[in-house]
Amino acid sequence: MAARDEFRQKFRQRFEDANRSIRKIKPRDLRSAMTGRNAVFALGAAMVVLLIWIFNTGGEDADTAALRETGASSPAAIMEEMSKTAMPAQQADPAAPAKKTEQANVEQSALEASVEKAEQEKAERRRAAMADRTVQNPNFIESVEVDISTRSVAITSGFSGQRIVVFGAVHNSQQASPQQGLYDVVVVLEGAKSKLVSRRKSNVAGLWINTQSVEFESVPSYYTISSTRPIVEISTPRVFDEHGIGFHHIRIEPQAAGANKLNPAELKSFRESIIRLKASEGLYQRRPTGVEFIGRSLFRTAIDLPANVPIGPVVARTYLFRDAELIAENTAAVQLQRQGLEALMYSFAFDYPLFYGMFAVAIAVGAGLAASAVFSRGAH
Amino acid sequence: MNLYLPIAEMPVNVLIFLGMGGAVGFLSGMFGVGGGFLMTPLLIFSGIPPAVAIGTEAAQIVASSVSGAVAQYQRRNVDIKMGIVLLTGGIMGSILGVQIVKELRQLGQFELFVSLAYVIFLGIIGSLMMIESLNTMRKARSGAAVSARRPGQHSWIHGLPLKMRFHRSKLYISAIPVIVLGAIVGFLGAIMGVGGGFIIVPAMIYLLRVPTNVVVGTSLFQILFVTAATTILHSVQNHTVDIVLAMILMIGGVIGAQFGAVAGEKLKGEQLRFLLAGLVLLVCLRVAWNLVVMPSELYSISSVIGGH
Repeated sequence: MAARDEFRQKFRQRFEDANRSIRKIKPRDLRSAMTGRNAVFALGAAMVVLLIWIFNTGGEDADTAALRETGASSPAAIMEEMSKTAMPAQQADPAAPAKKTEQANVEQSALEASVEKAEQEKAERRRAAMADRTVQNPNFIESVEVDISTRSVAITSGFSGQRIVVFGAVHNSQQASPQQGLYDVVVVLEGAKSKLVSRRKSNVAGLWINTQSVEFESVPSYYTISSTRPIVEISTPRVFDEHGIGFHHIRIEPQAAGANKLNPAELKSFRESIIRLKASEGLYQRRPTGVEFIGRSLFRTAIDLPANVPIGPVVARTYLFRDAELIAENTAAVQLQRQGLEALMYSFAFDYPLFYGMFAVAIAVGAGLAASAVFSRGAH
Repeated sequence: MNLYLPIAEMPVNVLIFLGMGGAVGFLSGMFGVGGGFLMTPLLIFSGIPPAVAIGTEAAQIVASSVSGAVAQYQRRNVDIKMGIVLLTGGIMGSILGVQIVKELRQLGQFELFVSLAYVIFLGIIGSLMMIESLNTMRKARSGAAVSARRPGQHSWIHGLPLKMRFHRSKLYISAIPVIVLGAIVGFLGAIMGVGGGFIIVPAMIYLLRVPTNVVVGTSLFQILFVTAATTILHSVQNHTVDIVLAMILMIGGVIGAQFGAVAGEKLKGEQLRFLLAGLVLLVCLRVAWNLVVMPSELYSISSVIGGH
């Protein structure tokens, strides 16, 4: 009992001594190490660097340059203009009211399956009819042309997402007006693909621990699908599977090694987890009525790249459907790249990691010394 | 005001993180601790990837410990020889820790490991400190006299070989426990994103029996150099030090610490320790909560590291 009390007393005494000496440290002790003027200078320099960083909007130059590049000759400038000025008007005037069934937001596999057979027969007949007409008039075949409002998106320190416009035209359009709804357009915007691992937690002895994991090959880092109407109304799952159109049809394959250990149902839940988590991060999005026809042949869709969009190339795959039939497709690409100090820092960190680390330490030492010197000046 | 972080690859609100740095700086200035144990979980809870949080926090601890270390050095309160021995162990521990961070990230068990380390260490330290401060407060109220310090007894530590003489600490002890202590602190710093002051200070006082005035200076010396080494190692091995985030936290931190130090002088030692213990236990419980409560999302995804 006495020993315990002694221990406590000792503990307290020592702790108090330690505490007292900690509090004895006064920033003014540093004055001899660093004169106030130098310290103010160092802190000022650090602030200037940070300010440059904050106001560094070098990315806009790239954007305007890209715009200039597309120039007056192409519809790009017109479209960009539209996206900026005429957008409210367009939104107020629904292009194809019949198509805009908002409630069918979720693709239903069951429904898709039931429609599939009927659709197939219809498509068969249509193909025959089209072959007929093509013989009569070779100019009848529609094709689709597509471009994106900008060639490159600059990721700078001020980046907080960016709206891009994917626009295009149906060559040889047969529809009399945008309201006719003869064509359906699906735009899939897809980022670079990479390996991804999904892990599932389970309860082990009261703790929630990652226990199972499946590695997936080539998961798109970013995926947005925009269409004239919910894709389940546009065509059949077979077509979607073939081209990776829609959340349920993205080609995400588990790695062979991991797949053998799990049954199909579990594998499916892992696959769904990727889509669900990506969607919750805002990286997978769908706009079932995002594409609108502006004229007989001109269509557009505005897509907001989120602030956390993975940096790399993004490809816009565009599919043209007529009566559930995929009749044409085309692609355009936009490059997402770091620019300005953002790019400098990133390449510094990855190309010269040793110097980057030393630089980080130097900044830390400078900031610590400067701050205490400045505050000690203020105290006297 | 948003800023895009180059390494974390996400935009953050600068004011929020400045405020976070300031708040943690205030508490660390008030209690005389590094604040890593508060800042790292805060960063993780606010969405910074855990590995980036830990790498970046190491850089911030350098900033917050450097002024104290210089001041102590000028007061001749640093036992350089012991500091270097501690540092030797510390850097070995740090190298091991950074490597383990890499391995655990690949296995997907990194967050679990960090959480467990937090729960265990903060739980133990917080409880001990809480009990001690409560006892002191109770005794102070009953008016018991404070007894003088007793000379330290010899323990098993003094029987170890490889003895070295540490002049400033007035000690003649084996280098083994010093190196081991340094290694443990370096290891924990690398995996928990903390300076390790909350472990090294009591250990030096009670295990090595270093005089208290030398303890503070020497531990700051060790923490400064080990976190500097950890910053560089994380940069090289894991590319997880975000300079922009570190600068935001440093600016908030150094300013907050100045105000915290003033506030701390208004409180008694045992009151400070009681509050600090409460804070440590709260962080511990918060981390533990995430481990034992069923998460709303059982799945998590991450890119495959080094799988190319």
